[in-house]
Amino acid sequence: MNRDSTMKEHVALFDHADRGWKQTFQSIVRSRDSSIVLAAAILVLLFSLTSGGQFLQGSTWPTILSSTAELGIVTIGVALLMIGGDFDLSVGANFSFSALIMATLMEHGESGLVGMLVALGIGLFIGFLNGIITVFLAIPSFVATLGTWLIWEGVTLVVTGGSTITVFQRSVVLNLLGGVLVGGIRWEVLWWVVIGIVVSIVLYRTPFGNAVFAVGGRAQSAREAGVPVRRIRVISFTVCGLLAAVAGVVQFGHLQSMASSYGEYYQLYAIAAAVVGGTVLTGGRGSIVGTMLGSLILSMLDAGLILSGVSTFWYQAVIGAIVIVAVAMHTRLSRLVRGGD
Amino acid sequence: MSETHREILRAEHVTKRFGPVTAIEDITVSFYTHQITGIVGDNGAGKSTFVKIISGVEQPTSGQLFFEGRAVKFRSARDARRTGIEAVHQDLGLVESMSVVRNFFLGMEPCRGLLMDMRRMREEAERRLYEIGLRNLKSVDQDVARLSGGERQAISIGRAIAFERKVLILDEPTSALSVKETQKVFDYMRNARQQGLAVLAIMHSMRQILDIADRIVIFWHGRLIADLPNDGMDENVLAEYLHNGLPESATIAT
Repeated sequence: MNRDSTMKEHVALFDHADRGWKQTFQSIVRSRDSSIVLAAAILVLLFSLTSGGQFLQGSTWPTILSSTAELGIVTIGVALLMIGGDFDLSVGANFSFSALIMATLMEHGESGLVGMLVALGIGLFIGFLNGIITVFLAIPSFVATLGTWLIWEGVTLVVTGGSTITVFQRSVVLNLLGGVLVGGIRWEVLWWVVIGIVVSIVLYRTPFGNAVFAVGGRAQSAREAGVPVRRIRVISFTVCGLLAAVAGVVQFGHLQSMASSYGEYYQLYAIAAAVVGGTVLTGGRGSIVGTMLGSLILSMLDAGLILSGVSTFWYQAVIGAIVIVAVAMHTRLSRLVRGGD
Repeated sequence: MSETHREILRAEHVTKRFGPVTAIEDITVSFYTHQITGIVGDNGAGKSTFVKIISGVEQPTSGQLFFEGRAVKFRSARDARRTGIEAVHQDLGLVESMSVVRNFFLGMEPCRGLLMDMRRMREEAERRLYEIGLRNLKSVDQDVARLSGGERQAISIGRAIAFERKVLILDEPTSALSVKETQKVFDYMRNARQQGLAVLAIMHSMRQILDIADRIVIFWHGRLIADLPNDGMDENVLAEYLHNGLPESATIAT
């Protein structure tokens, strides 16, 4: 084979512009994501009309963004795990438990920093334990974390007796977690964005991320390629647990109070937000940007319904409907552009 | 062929028993660079067991493997792969939901710092696929789900070459393919041979074996009964070996 002419032909066939970052950018902002942006825009329009303009007022957005961030940080972890083919139903319990430990420690005079580090350590440990139980006992993660959800929620109730803990002391750490940053927007929003960027880069640009997609797509192939499947799964669970605790402590920083009920249903809303954002329930596909937009849509729904004078009780029902519509749309979309995203 | 054949892998007196059942007995055979060897045998003849042993999936009950003249022992497929033996199973070991380039380097991603070197990955994958003859691929960023069976074979074979494997074992590489696609896969195999690999292919179709193999080894009832160069071989002769063992008239060639 004449190598020179082969290579020339080759260069002509494959355009060799430096596409590294462009491709990464494209793979992050995918066609699916743009349809979610469209959905969000339609919601904004709809709620501005139904709320008589209130929805567009400046004071609405810091609130929406705060709840987006608190749900969104949990959701990023859940989406990472779902892309790898696993579920975590215990994130809501993890969220409340770790934040309540922080609140309790501060109530007893510990510093915010110590409280935060202990809380994050607990979240990490809960996630790690989920991973160990799922992977080494070979239990479906859905069942394993259903179990740990009930366990940690039970433990939380025993420890706190169901009461709300409020901390009145001033703390730099609490302020940095959930205090006001600028224009009414809180630090937690910044943390959400930072975490989203970091996890995106990890997923799309590192061997670990490649392994997560492979494990979720087809674990057998990943194993054959030498990917340490069990280790990748345990790490994903651990990250998910850590992010649930991060969400718990930023919400505590924001509200300065915490109760076991605060994290209630977070696991379900997180899965809903990830699914609305285009993450596939069977694993192997998903996007962090889409997931972040999914969290935003859920929070906008909450605020939009209230401002439109609809009873908040409708919130759950609407989310349920949205999830079904979103999955139906994504399925259609992925059939249309199969492999194209 | 002008290239010199160098012995790369040798099995000596390899026997595998599963409890009281002897799957293969006293197999001695060598494989060479720049050569495509067709491995044939009826179901249960022992060819799969043999391939599992040389690719590290199973361990021999007795006997010894030599790689480049050194005695080797594989405890896992990973061991064998690290030594330089890649087995491509019928499922091809690909992840359909991932792009060609991400599949190509799965588990072996080249990095710059902590991040994957995507540019190098793309260039390397494109070059390797082009070299082995996959020339109409639109983009290595396509998902594998969109590729044909033949194109998927190309990725598995290209991957083995890129990671400098010396022995490539293909399990029924053409069983699910059209005639046209089969010819393409044969081209990939010939290109792998040209790159110096010892290519071992298990195939059921006699016609295809005669088409692609330089040499044919035949398993029958757990034994290797014939090791023949593929010149002037006839489908009927081959079929005779497979069903009835050694024909009375035949002698074992080397």
